[in-house]
Amino acid sequence: MGFFDSLFNGRQGRSAQVAKERLATVLVDDRYKLTPEMKEQMKIDIAAVLARYLPAIDPDQIEVTLLRGEASDHLKADIPLRRAQQSDV
Amino acid sequence: MARIITITSGKGGVGKTTTTANLGTALAMQGAKVAVIDADIGLRNLDVVMGLENRIVYDLVDVVEGRARLRQALIKDKRLPELCLMPAAQTRDKDAVSPAQMIDLTNQLRQEFDYVLIDSPAGIEGGFRNAIAGADEVVIVTTPEVSAVRDADRIVGLVEAAEKGPPSLIVNRIKPRLVNRGEMLSVDDVLELLAIQLIGIVPDDETIVTSTNRGEAVVYDQNSLAGRAFLNIARRITGENVPFMAITDQQSMFERLFGMFGRRRS
Repeated sequence: MGFFDSLFNGRQGRSAQVAKERLATVLVDDRYKLTPEMKEQMKIDIAAVLARYLPAIDPDQIEVTLLRGEASDHLKADIPLRRAQQSDV
Repeated sequence: MARIITITSGKGGVGKTTTTANLGTALAMQGAKVAVIDADIGLRNLDVVMGLENRIVYDLVDVVEGRARLRQALIKDKRLPELCLMPAAQTRDKDAVSPAQMIDLTNQLRQEFDYVLIDSPAGIEGGFRNAIAGADEVVIVTTPEVSAVRDADRIVGLVEAAEKGPPSLIVNRIKPRLVNRGEMLSVDDVLELLAIQLIGIVPDDETIVTSTNRGEAVVYDQNSLAGRAFLNIARRITGENVPFMAITDQQSMFERLFGMFGRRRS
């Protein structure tokens, strides 16, 4: 069974798992009424605040995800930094 | 004093009306006095699902507007004398009734029945608000599909905002074979996403189609998996602790063996 399954489903992954991950994101965004537009604006604002302390950050590189947790929900932001040059520091 | 339970879903077509009809029938089979109310004004359906479409004289709007007394609009079930249907009006729309009028109506029914089940219309607008206005409890029906689960989550939020207490969940039309293959959200997946109390799991079952065609409840069919699932839910509603059906592949070993080869084609 596993063999056939991996043969046919291996490439894209199981659709139930895909559905679950997509729903996990969309449900929590719905709950917080967070539109894609607001997310984009949030990234720009985060980049602007961080630019006061760190070398310039590209808002397009930031990933903001709301996550549903057991007791509370979380905002996860993945913000790649431009590696600091010696002279910048 | 009746418990008033609204069956709702957000998305249409997930099985609210079938669930209401079968839970109502199952509760009445256990000896309870039950009224089922079709709150989908303008899109009347509970009557045809229950096979009572030819007996309608008055409807919910007639009662609310004073043209009929409560008793006159309650249609007795064909088999169970303790089961009654209050049909929706077909020629009016959702605005014909207000939440206050629904509360008043349910309070009148409360005196005479043990359970009042309200079949809610789909959506999150006026019709839904009317359907939950008089409810003590809310049951949300969903299928294991992204659109239905998303809409169910919206309803969870609205029910909580309406201070109806935490709703409970029925996951309808589970296809065990797809779940086993990882190609359909499992009951556990849906529960994890919606984070509400599970009250029933109903497998996808063709007997629903055939019994609905005849206007009969599927809970009468001893061989129907969906029928058994609805009977179990009714027992849980009455407070009994009934273990959840194992949703496994119901195929025989023979079919399963065959399926292994058949899978190549599909």
